[in-house]
Amino acid sequence: MSKGTAERVAPPPLVAAGRQRRLIAGDRVFEVIAYGAAALILLIAIVFVIALFIPALPAITEFGLGFFISRTWDPVRTQFGALPAIYGTLVTSAIALVIAFPIGLGAALFLAEDSRLRFLRGPLSFAIELLAGIPSVVVGLWAFFVLTPLMRDSVDPFLNHTLGFLPLFQGSASGYGFLTAGVVLAIMVLPIMIALSRDVIRAVPRALREASLALGATNAETIWSVILPYARVGITGAVLLSLGRALGETIAVTMVIGNRPQITGSLFASGYTLPSVIANEFTEAVGNVYLGALFYLGVVLVLITIAVNVLARLLVWRFTSEATAA
Amino acid sequence: MSHPLVRAMVDRVVGGLIVLCVSVAAIPVLVLLLFVLINGLPGMLSPGFFTDPPYPQGVPGGGVLNAIIGTLEIVGIGSLLAVPLGALIGIFLSEYGRNQIGDTVRFISDVFTGLPSIAFGIFGYTVVVLTTHHFSALSASIALAVLMLPVILRATETALVLVPNSLREAGLALGAPRWRVTLEIVVPAALGGIVTGALLAMARAAGETAPLLFTAFGNDIIQTNPLQPMGALSLTIFRNALVPYPNLQQQAWAAALLLVALVAATNIAARIYVRRIQR
Amino acid sequence: MKRVLIALSLGVSLLLAACGGSSGATNPSTGAPAVVVPTPPAAQLTGAGATFPQPFYDAARFAYNKKFSQVTVNYQGVGSGGGINQLTKKIVDFGASDVPLKASEAAAMGGSDKVVQIASTLGTVSMAYNLDGVADGALKLTPDTIAGIFLGKITKWNDSALAADNSGVNLPNQDIRVVHRSDGSGTTYIFTDYLSNVSPDWKAKTGGPGKSISWPVGDGAQGNAGVATRVTQTPGAIGYVELAYVLQTKMKQAALKNHDGTFVIPSAAGATAAANAFAGTTPSNFSIVNAAGKDSAPISGYSWIIVYKDQAEKTKGTALVDYLYWLTTADGQQYAVNLHYAALPSSMASYDLTTLKGVTFGGSALLSVS
Repeated sequence: MSKGTAERVAPPPLVAAGRQRRLIAGDRVFEVIAYGAAALILLIAIVFVIALFIPALPAITEFGLGFFISRTWDPVRTQFGALPAIYGTLVTSAIALVIAFPIGLGAALFLAEDSRLRFLRGPLSFAIELLAGIPSVVVGLWAFFVLTPLMRDSVDPFLNHTLGFLPLFQGSASGYGFLTAGVVLAIMVLPIMIALSRDVIRAVPRALREASLALGATNAETIWSVILPYARVGITGAVLLSLGRALGETIAVTMVIGNRPQITGSLFASGYTLPSVIANEFTEAVGNVYLGALFYLGVVLVLITIAVNVLARLLVWRFTSEATAA
Repeated sequence: MSHPLVRAMVDRVVGGLIVLCVSVAAIPVLVLLLFVLINGLPGMLSPGFFTDPPYPQGVPGGGVLNAIIGTLEIVGIGSLLAVPLGALIGIFLSEYGRNQIGDTVRFISDVFTGLPSIAFGIFGYTVVVLTTHHFSALSASIALAVLMLPVILRATETALVLVPNSLREAGLALGAPRWRVTLEIVVPAALGGIVTGALLAMARAAGETAPLLFTAFGNDIIQTNPLQPMGALSLTIFRNALVPYPNLQQQAWAAALLLVALVAATNIAARIYVRRIQR
Repeated sequence: MKRVLIALSLGVSLLLAACGGSSGATNPSTGAPAVVVPTPPAAQLTGAGATFPQPFYDAARFAYNKKFSQVTVNYQGVGSGGGINQLTKKIVDFGASDVPLKASEAAAMGGSDKVVQIASTLGTVSMAYNLDGVADGALKLTPDTIAGIFLGKITKWNDSALAADNSGVNLPNQDIRVVHRSDGSGTTYIFTDYLSNVSPDWKAKTGGPGKSISWPVGDGAQGNAGVATRVTQTPGAIGYVELAYVLQTKMKQAALKNHDGTFVIPSAAGATAAANAFAGTTPSNFSIVNAAGKDSAPISGYSWIIVYKDQAEKTKGTALVDYLYWLTTADGQQYAVNLHYAALPSSMASYDLTTLKGVTFGGSALLSVS
């Protein structure tokens, strides 16, 4: 600190002298460094795009947009289509959301709302945070050894027995496949679903809630008629963000999906997802077209995830800022 | 639907459903941790687990020392790359970034956060492995650094933004140049948040598998040279789960327990640090 | 009689060893004479590829490092396709594949004159299954039934085609869960080579042998180990797995009907019999499936190691050829034999030696062995 100067803002460089000038130069240097760091992340992003896109070109030129609708994944005949992997990704993510949405929303309502059993809030929040921190490969390990036999021996036969009139639940179950992968994804996505929904519900103005209760509505009616409609946009955003997470989940899904590029109506069947194809076949893809096809899948995956995430953040951000402004 | 008794009953039912949801939500983590603990302890307590590399089939014993060293080194180098850069970018965003460049950086950071982890593996492979003609721990560290960057960056920005402006103004009022105010007043005030962000990012990186599959590649020998392929706990778990040998499967569970313990310890350390700072 | 011979050769080798040093050892199980193995320079070698020989490669690199602590070998089983791919990009020092290079793969490496391939071991593929109530070796499979199962035509264990070959065996009314490889695999190649040979149906449907094919039915698992795990964990499963994995994990395997009509249980001896039925095996003439001979295991094959003919670094290159020489001679081969692979026939061993001598750095050979 300089001695006894009364200036509140650094004076323009021209006027400063000696030590002052050096310190101001320090400002310049620091600003350059800071901007440099920002430039670096921009550079990393550009390199990222190039590294992903360029190797995909041989496949893009070979298959074009037909890649998205072709059902064949045949390395021998060098015929590649993304549809089985896209199908698997969508199906498993859908199952995950169907399971995680109601449970997540319910838990979020409890965490944000409920006046009873308040002492449980802390432990539950902690448990959810813990779940979020468990690495994907550990969840996959557990799913591979514990969940798969459970699905094969108990859950799948039960579903077949009770809901077997639906083509979804027909066919033999090996324990690996769309349904098991969907359950695993639901477990991984639950923490995000809960955390985001809780934030969204908390953002609903207290005044609205209290007004509803003051008018004599029960808790349930308040939730149904006031809170949820108000939070609709934000919750959609939360669901979308969870979807984004589910789309990109690689390792846990790879361990239980069954590794079979096929499109079929049965949830018990084995399948493939975009990330698991890449993980399984990347090191051994020989030839520019095969490797390019995997990169092409990567491009597809990244684009879908970005689109979903951007849309989701727009919704959540817009909702919470509107709500707090209200 | 308007009869008061019906409404009260519906209220009760919904309340019950919510509690049910809560219970169901809490089950997975408990079950998971229980299984990891029960299946992992025997392996962890077996001799040589912490001191030996894996032995081939037929040779008894073996452990995961190669993976422990690998995880620590890969994450360590990755953090050395990501933490300073991430903190710097966070500082940029909070102090200089209220403009379009800042918004672009934030957008890119958000995009990166949502990417599937395998994309970072592809990045590491294309940019480092192909050019150096070598699988290496370094390529894995670089992939993980890019993965950690957005987390650290956002945590730093958030922590810095929370520092009241009065601190900045006081520093400037006393005549200090902006860079000194930032580095010597604002950043120390925000250190709790920054360190927490860094620790959480590191914990996440330690658990990642997909970015390591075709960068670090794996190594059954104890390796410390970052320019060579290296093993890691996540790789050991992933690969050992898929082999039919009970002793290797046991090592997978034990490695999982170790990894979970590591992640939990890092999280707890972050919390303790924040509490200490806040005193 | 055999024991006397072994005792004699042990005695002779002890004498020879006592009489003064060779850095080699006599292999008691094959009774081969002592082999002098060159001492390698310090190096770290990286290899990738087939899981078919992986148990052998793991035991071998461990033993080699014990013998010569200055050399470490890191081998990852990513499948034959992966090995070839990584070698093409020059990211590993040697690639391992159960099937030698195709013309296109050799071209990608710069041409077939830029690479050399040696046979490292000889193994055989088993049909492993998971059926309660059917003992190990009790299930009999013929070329037709195997093709039928993997084509998806035979879907239940008590199908009439299976029952016809298995009178007296209690085949349950259970779905057959087929397991195949999800990664690019030389084991798959050997298996599909066999199926293409014995089933015109299979050949028409899938187009012939390949490391990665479009499977009519079944789930994919990574690596021989992955298939083995999947079969062990799934009741009613059947999969093709290399013999070493089956024996190490005590899985049940089927008796297979070979070319001559005999039902054989795959074994190292069966692999040797199969190899001996084909004269003049080279990387371009490598298939030994469906071999004649009453003892031949029908789904057998060599496993190959591929390196660049002209090495980029002298130290590493020397260590590499030294290691490969050790691997393909008695000292290294004993680890294969212990794991129920078959020892390389002497014709292949001498082919390997000649080939290894052709590996150079800057024009001069790296292997200093007579």
